[in-house]
Amino acid sequence: MATGTATMKPGKRKKKFQLTPYLFVLPNFLIFSIFIIVPTIMGFIYSFNEYDGLNPMEFIGIENYMNVFTNEMFWSALGKTALYAAIVVPLIYCLSLAVAMLLIQEIRLKGFFRAIFYWPTMISFIIVGLTWKWIFGDLGILNYILSLFGADTIPFLSSPFYANLSVIIATVWSRLGFFMVIFMAGLQAIPGDYYEAAHLDGASKLRSFWSITLPLLKPTSFLVIMISLIDAFKSYPLMFALTGGGPGRETTFIVQYIYEVGFMRQELGVASAMSVVLFVIISLFTILQFRLAKGGAV
Amino acid sequence: MKKNFKIVSILMVFVLLALMSMACAKNDDAGSEGAAGGKNVSLDFVWFSDGNEGAVMKGIIKDYEAQNPNVKVNLIEIAYKDLATKLRTMITGGQPPALARISTTEIGAFSGRALDLSTYVGGADQFTAQFMDSIKPYYVVNDKVIAAPMDVTANGLIYNKTLFDKAGVKVPSSPDDVWTWEEFQAALKQVMDQGGAKYGLVWDFTPHRWSTLLYQYGGSMISSDGTKATINNEAGVQAVEYFKKLHTDGSMPTSVWFGGENPNNLFRSGTVAAHLAGNWMVSNYKDITNFEWGVTYMPKATQRSSVPGGKFVMAFNGSKVEKEAADFVQYLSTKEVNSKYNQESLFMSPRKDSANLDYAFGKEMFQIFSDELNNTSAAAAEDWSKQTIVPKFSNDLKNNLVEVIAGKTTAKEAMDKTAQAIDKAIADDKK
Repeated sequence: MATGTATMKPGKRKKKFQLTPYLFVLPNFLIFSIFIIVPTIMGFIYSFNEYDGLNPMEFIGIENYMNVFTNEMFWSALGKTALYAAIVVPLIYCLSLAVAMLLIQEIRLKGFFRAIFYWPTMISFIIVGLTWKWIFGDLGILNYILSLFGADTIPFLSSPFYANLSVIIATVWSRLGFFMVIFMAGLQAIPGDYYEAAHLDGASKLRSFWSITLPLLKPTSFLVIMISLIDAFKSYPLMFALTGGGPGRETTFIVQYIYEVGFMRQELGVASAMSVVLFVIISLFTILQFRLAKGGAV
Repeated sequence: MKKNFKIVSILMVFVLLALMSMACAKNDDAGSEGAAGGKNVSLDFVWFSDGNEGAVMKGIIKDYEAQNPNVKVNLIEIAYKDLATKLRTMITGGQPPALARISTTEIGAFSGRALDLSTYVGGADQFTAQFMDSIKPYYVVNDKVIAAPMDVTANGLIYNKTLFDKAGVKVPSSPDDVWTWEEFQAALKQVMDQGGAKYGLVWDFTPHRWSTLLYQYGGSMISSDGTKATINNEAGVQAVEYFKKLHTDGSMPTSVWFGGENPNNLFRSGTVAAHLAGNWMVSNYKDITNFEWGVTYMPKATQRSSVPGGKFVMAFNGSKVEKEAADFVQYLSTKEVNSKYNQESLFMSPRKDSANLDYAFGKEMFQIFSDELNNTSAAAAEDWSKQTIVPKFSNDLKNNLVEVIAGKTTAKEAMDKTAQAIDKAIADDKK
């Protein structure tokens, strides 16, 4: 082997097959294949079968897909998810950018403030949901405080409007820190000279933001929007813990609905078909991100 | 140096892979050991616990192993929410457990894989004659005994005695003077006005607990021959309308059925007059010290009714230890063992001859639950035993009820919609 390396041309040396890196990747590759790729393929197969997870599968062609496309509840849950995403994504984008811009300034206790915004991202969604349930519950802390001031209690979790609002607040609170860090990295990569030049030319801070910060943050912005959009479409544990999808079906989003069909109604075939539809939607977002961000060059 | 590094890396990866395969192989061995047959057998028993029944079962297993030295019962304790998934995985993986504790929610789904106990326990009739007739539809499917009842549950009414006493409201003392729902609502109002209760009644947010009212109105979800939905008949609609009235009149807080607030926590706070739940709450509420509480008879509409349920032990086909598993099930079903299990776990026995157990706590409360069961509509067990159909519409029923309470739809429209879902589930089941 050593002789082979010696006789190779310098330009080709890089292309020589190296076994070691592959072996290092192997354990992760095996785990990824066994627990992600194989179940994905299995899910695709299930989607063409009638299957309850216990009895033998029965091939039924595209019947499950027909069922999905005519299922009013599926589209209603998908519509609610889209509306939730349409509100949550811009909110997360604006707030995390605003917080990032504040916290890259030289202010006192900067590290402490950054930590305060970042800590919630380290908590699991179930705990976030339960925490906010204690705050927003009809007998929760917030209503207790309101009652201390003699105000009427607010049905945060039992009114459709407030339940959606509660879910949005909890989501933004739990995800803000993560995107703040991404924005901080993006902001710090913008050379200070640009701002200096703009300042000398008499540009206002707002003008500098519109003409320097935002355009140069474009790749970061795409990344943040796409990740938060995909997050929003996949969200489930937080609502499960906070509202349980209620009141009624008001906060039942698409993943929860798929879970209900698959595991409560034991219709794994239909649930798999729904998952494939969701997979296609999320893939479209990802392709869009790659196109817009020119091959993912973030 | 580089070559050595590469060799070491390759070796490390192989060691890692070998360790992984050994870890997997060890599990296989443990599984096949139980299935090996021969003189010594090991019975895998999948178990979940709500209270202390796991500890009680361990004691029973110890006694059984002492009497049968060749049998070892391996109790696999899991969380209830993982039960269906765990059993599915074991069965479809070709290694079903010998036994599993199972609730009425799962019993239908696994009935096709269950061992027919009748041939091992001296005939179906002789075996089933020992247990309450009302739960028979759950464990006798197509004339096969697919499981053995371990404990029986009943929905009932738990009340805050301190608040009722403060308001000077007396609860019914015998089954002959039970309240009507209107009388009960008036009593709740008095407890709220004079006893200081913040809420009158909390009701578990489940279609199962709601259906108590349906049966009290003489209704049912599915026709007794199992061919069509009946939930949208007059009785069903009346039950839904009254349930809505309980919310709109202020007897019930909307936070439980709208906001998913835990009724147990509300009752425990001491601000709620009554909780419509089940007998399993007796052991849950045992530690309440800030107020006195008790169990009383549920009100009646056109008739009295509870909803029977329970937990069962199922043995599985293909475990290769079927005979030994059936023997153990029979041991668990004997009067002595079953009574010990239920008495120590604070459960109700499904055996006809063990109705009055000497509980260390709440003996008189269990007598009331038992009376509720004895005055239960036959439709209740017939409906809820259809567990290949019920899970397909129960969520729709729950959500449709919420829509009625929210005023988005009428009781009739909501039940018509639910009936459609039930008819579809029946049609799908027949395929």
